[in-house]
Amino acid sequence: MLLLSYLLLSGVTTGALYALVALGIVVVNKATGVINFAHGELFMFSGFVAWTLHVQMGVMYPVALPLAVAAGFLLGALTDRIAFRPLIKADVISLVLATVGIAFVLRGLARVIWGGKGDYLSFPPITSPEPVMIGEIMVIPQQLAVLAGAIVVMLAFAAFFRLTRAGKMMQATADNSKAATLVGIRTARIYTLSFGTGAAIAAAAAVLMAPLTLLYPDMGFSFFIKGFAAAVLGGLTSLPGAVLGGLIIGVIEALAGGYIHSSFIEVSAFVVIMLVLVVRPTGLLGAGRLRRV
Amino acid sequence: MALFGRRNVLLVLLVAAVLAPQFVNTYHLFVANLILVYVLLSIGLNILVGYAGQLAFANAAMFGIGAYGTGLLQVHFGWPFWLAFPTGAVIATSVGLAISLPALRLSGLYLALSSLAFAQFTQWVFLHWESVTFGAGGFKTPTVSFAPLPVSKPIGLYYLSLILAVALFLLAQNLVRSRLGRAFVAVRDGEVAAQSLGIDLLRYKALAFGISGFYAGIAGGIYSAMLNFVSPEGYDLFQMVLHKAMIVVGGLGSIAGSVLGAGAIVGLLEALREVKGIQEIAFGAILVIFILFMPGGLIAFLKTRVPGWEEPLHRRGRGDAPTVSTTPATKVVRP
Repeated sequence: MLLLSYLLLSGVTTGALYALVALGIVVVNKATGVINFAHGELFMFSGFVAWTLHVQMGVMYPVALPLAVAAGFLLGALTDRIAFRPLIKADVISLVLATVGIAFVLRGLARVIWGGKGDYLSFPPITSPEPVMIGEIMVIPQQLAVLAGAIVVMLAFAAFFRLTRAGKMMQATADNSKAATLVGIRTARIYTLSFGTGAAIAAAAAVLMAPLTLLYPDMGFSFFIKGFAAAVLGGLTSLPGAVLGGLIIGVIEALAGGYIHSSFIEVSAFVVIMLVLVVRPTGLLGAGRLRRV
Repeated sequence: MALFGRRNVLLVLLVAAVLAPQFVNTYHLFVANLILVYVLLSIGLNILVGYAGQLAFANAAMFGIGAYGTGLLQVHFGWPFWLAFPTGAVIATSVGLAISLPALRLSGLYLALSSLAFAQFTQWVFLHWESVTFGAGGFKTPTVSFAPLPVSKPIGLYYLSLILAVALFLLAQNLVRSRLGRAFVAVRDGEVAAQSLGIDLLRYKALAFGISGFYAGIAGGIYSAMLNFVSPEGYDLFQMVLHKAMIVVGGLGSIAGSVLGAGAIVGLLEALREVKGIQEIAFGAILVIFILFMPGGLIAFLKTRVPGWEEPLHRRGRGDAPTVSTTPATKVVRP
């Protein structure tokens, strides 16, 4: 019981972070119809920016977080300007390869600036790392803080998407970009905004995650794959689906790691991706209509 | 045929490659051999991505499977290299055929991501199936002996690679001109149109994956013998970006371009060996710059500037053959 409750809580916590990464992937995919292969590296890079601000320059954590999110937004918008806008009429192969190129540039830059292969930077905890017992259940305050932070980010994003003018323009573009152009929305700007927003959510996830684990230049890719697994499980165009998918992946990983072997943590996401894409490409909450994948 | 035409330049390169071991030192011979390995990888990947239009990221994994297959059969079962090497290539080919099955249902981004997940899965197997693959540390393979022939191992291996590279280059050249190659191009340019012309998508996609798996498996077998060592690191994401950079720099949908791309990328890789930190930045940036500013790669530049570089499908003046584009046609795929 103790093990199960511990695994479930840590699964939900990491799952919430995967959900944020997945939300970023879905936002970009809904608006532009493509997947940003540099998404994980944007996540990683923003995490390192937060590290520099918080640990090296002594900026308070609540201030470092929005600054890193802003940095993430800029990086995302830059990705759009370099790899999406000029290639909007090119074929999908060029576009994917261009974002792969950007991913490697960011990864190399992170290695040059923050450390080479096998270098890990630690981020000081924001709350006490001591576990607390609530009845039969062991709770780590750090995990609760991360979970709460992730929920706040999700709610803030939902509010932005539903209530603001920019969010509504993003919805309109995602639904029908030609109609959106007709009513005067500058879709090219909305694409930039979507790339920026997607990266900003990933940046928030990175800053929330940093105190829980360590930062290293190769982490972007593994989070990208997990976020993609979550997004695919949720249907790739569904925002609630991305959140649900993230939580499921997080819990599956934690259970596989706890009950089978710790090395199975890494492999669960790959298995989910391959199974979902082959068996049910529309995911759990994807549109009911048949979609060409 | 123009003096600096494709055939003449490739012939000069071949003669230089045949004579090279007489003039160069061990290190340069190693680099030359590395180029041949990458030529094989690049041609195989270009058939899959450039001709058949299947954007898969599993090439580095196939390369690894070829290397591990060749190495492990020698280590665990004591097979001689001459038996383990072709078997390793056959294993890579069959894995290529197996991963083509989901490819029938998936295309574009979904194929890219599922093959990326497959490549990471392969890495995971290399790392964690320790009783067979020896885990993260890798393992040593026995030295290949060219016993009856009076040649040392590096030179023997170099000529073996050269023979294989030339044979497989010619095979690829003929293949893309054949019914098969034209079917690949048809699948790439429009699956529905291809199907309506009677092209069996499953069969041709599977063949493209199998062929690229075969080329990567051969390359992997040679590579493991070159290094006498196999470890998961050699077949990771960085390899993936190198392979992609080779076909983009050389030119998607060109066999001769694959050779140029492999040469250029290996040359750069060796030039940057001293400053390992910037390798990732350099190859990532090359990928972006070529896609943005030279989408046809080096071969497109040669085709427009130097006479005699048109590829067979482009040859003009015969009147009987319609011009078929071998570079991906630009098409609007998004809103």
